[in-house]
Amino acid sequence: MLRRTALLATAGLAAAALALSACTASPSPDSTGGEPDPDASLTVGLVLEPDNLDIRRTSGAALEQALIDNVYEGLVTRAPDDGNVIVPKLASDWEVSEDGLTYTFTIQEGVTFHNGEPLTVDDVVTSLTEVKDDESLQGHGDLAGVTSITAPDESTVEIVLAAPNIDFLFSLTGRAGLVFKAGDTTDMNNAENGTGPFTIADWTEGDSITLARYDDYWGEPAGVAEVVLQYIPDFTAGVNAALDGSVDVLTAVDATLAPQLDGTGFTLTTGETTDKGTLAFNNQRAPLDDPRVREALRLAIDHEALIEAQGAAETLYGPIPPLDPGYEDLSDVAPYDPERARELLADAGQEDLSLTLTIPAVYGTTVPTFLVSAFDDVGVELTVESVEFPTWLQDVYTNKDYDLSFVLHVEARDFGNFANPDYYFNYDNPEVQDLYARALATTDEDESDDLLRQAARIVSEEHAADWLYLGNTITAVGQGVSGFPVNSINVRLNLADVTVSRG
Amino acid sequence: MTRYALTRLALLLVGLLVASLLIFFTLRVLPGDVAQLIAGTQGSPEQVAAIRERLGLDRPLWEQYFEWIGGVLRGDLGTSLVNGRSVGAELVQKAQVTVPLGLMSLLIALVFAVPLGVLSAVRRRRGAGTAMSVGAQTLAAVPVVWAGMMLVIVFAVWLGWLPAQGFPRTGWSTPWLAIRSLLLPAITIGIVEGAMLLRFVRSATMQAIGQDYVRTAAAKGLTKNQALLRHGLPNVGLSIITVLGLQVAGIIVGAVVIEQLFTLPGIGRMLVADVGGRDLVKVQGELLVLTGFVLIIGFLVDLVHRVLDPRQREAA
Repeated sequence: MLRRTALLATAGLAAAALALSACTASPSPDSTGGEPDPDASLTVGLVLEPDNLDIRRTSGAALEQALIDNVYEGLVTRAPDDGNVIVPKLASDWEVSEDGLTYTFTIQEGVTFHNGEPLTVDDVVTSLTEVKDDESLQGHGDLAGVTSITAPDESTVEIVLAAPNIDFLFSLTGRAGLVFKAGDTTDMNNAENGTGPFTIADWTEGDSITLARYDDYWGEPAGVAEVVLQYIPDFTAGVNAALDGSVDVLTAVDATLAPQLDGTGFTLTTGETTDKGTLAFNNQRAPLDDPRVREALRLAIDHEALIEAQGAAETLYGPIPPLDPGYEDLSDVAPYDPERARELLADAGQEDLSLTLTIPAVYGTTVPTFLVSAFDDVGVELTVESVEFPTWLQDVYTNKDYDLSFVLHVEARDFGNFANPDYYFNYDNPEVQDLYARALATTDEDESDDLLRQAARIVSEEHAADWLYLGNTITAVGQGVSGFPVNSINVRLNLADVTVSRG
Repeated sequence: MTRYALTRLALLLVGLLVASLLIFFTLRVLPGDVAQLIAGTQGSPEQVAAIRERLGLDRPLWEQYFEWIGGVLRGDLGTSLVNGRSVGAELVQKAQVTVPLGLMSLLIALVFAVPLGVLSAVRRRRGAGTAMSVGAQTLAAVPVVWAGMMLVIVFAVWLGWLPAQGFPRTGWSTPWLAIRSLLLPAITIGIVEGAMLLRFVRSATMQAIGQDYVRTAAAKGLTKNQALLRHGLPNVGLSIITVLGLQVAGIIVGAVVIEQLFTLPGIGRMLVADVGGRDLVKVQGELLVLTGFVLIIGFLVDLVHRVLDPRQREAA
């Protein structure tokens, strides 16, 4: 609880610094007080458009943002505005056995797919079994430890694991747990047959996705009749769209442009995320295999100043953000100290060091420009190689051919990347791997948190990477719009509870 | 004339073939591939290989090229690697934004460049002519993006007359809304392209003024301006047609940039998104259609020029 309060305070400070008109971490207030209009149409400006609608086979946060909880549903989901806790969805209830091996789900009654067919336990069993067996389906890795998925009766599904995994339920809030109609022949690239509160009425590629309320929804029907997800990749164009009234809500507002929306009837909210701005070090490549060099690079960075330049962010000195279990404030590990950085580099015999930073161009120039000057200050010459994302994926992610790399790791609970020696970080520490394995294997949440904390501290103390910042997400909510989600909306945007009142 | 047309047609076909080869094979040099993007950062190498096989990307390049070009000859541009939609159908849909945008830009460029160009040549020794010339030089050097941003700030944000971005979802069934949303982008491209055209018109007019036939006409009793209007301007018109091919290419490039800036769902924005997604089948279809369009315009311009200019007919 204490942690959450501290966070709210941080978010508040960040917002005040930006001179924003309002800042809350709770759903946006009803600004007009009028009666919600159930026939309303809501237009939401988003940045990244999915390339297709096939959530089973195509990666990317854009698909999850648009479709999970809105069009497709899983057994369980998460509530980003409520500390990312796991909440029921198609499973009305669940039980975990004492040994942490057997998960028993009670399936919600009265659920229908958008084509009118009822949801059965067979659909649940088939959907999850397909993900477990077919490695080309997204989420396949999450179900690797599953030994059986069965339906003992018409309202129960039982999943048995080979070994306890405390993250298993959370992984079912993602793609691995989504439920589709067994034997469905829908062209999932361009159409859908989900169970969510919205159907897809239209997708105009390169422009927008239109969601329409599904009137036979099993739960509380959506608050608006229609939501248009308008994709506007250019940040300035997005703000212009808000100013000329073509969107009711603008997500991912650029921090430097946010003041333009001040006093225009929009309420700005600042949400927490798990977006870790990660400066990766190639831990196996000389001279970065020397911890003194990695430490020196971290000490050369004034994180507070970087965040001021970047806007809409907080500091993060370790691999686990506050929304995930196992968070601890690790700011003592790498305080800004260029003097000490120079000493460390001298110790390591690297006073004349040249390094290359590979960064996808979408991340802009603020971070690389800042790093060039910060490293220059301690005698390290940094060359910036700005590449397209597919190039990054090939050179850095797949071939691990890089010195330093920057990307925003948005996934929740992805600490496991530091316990995986094959990941592009090239970080291989058996102690961390053992702590992480034990953190997953225990059924005691406090013990798990504690083990994760220990592992995260080691990763930060060994300077396996640097965490330049933890992203905040600014949303501009128009007049009359209530209940718009605040936190982590780049990966999950549940629109069912949003209402619009005009008047 | 027929012989000339046939030779020119053969050249066009060779040009298209070379373009298809260049487009196909240079795209394959791009780093990163669609299968890795589909699999994402959680994808295993096996998963990536499985996707490559499903999409037919594991086959030899020549085989893929012939399959593609065979389809093109039958009028089929293939289907997207990412969402399975028909490339031809997507192009037709996006052309509903890009073609009107291009035509409006061209119209704006002509309307402002031709009269001003002629005027600045006729008045070249006066202040107005010099000012126009300097103005055109400056405008022609302005990046399209900057011009667009300035127009947005003035007409959309300050005055609120026109939308700052986007295209109505109702499309051309609401023609007024559609035209309104294309107006600022078209003016942006039109001004920059028009500035280049203006300089061309100006120099063509100045050349015409110095020609013997204009002087002769003036000697026979016409005023200088009458002589220019009657005998000089048809020649200027011919020169404009000649550069039209270049202008069309310029407008297409302008449209690619401007569609990003104004978030217009046209061919340019689709092209940029598809390159980013490494949807190469779609990208090569889009590029071939755009290149083909420019080459065909060039071909037509040459023919028209030939028909209209008696000097060229006699020289043949």
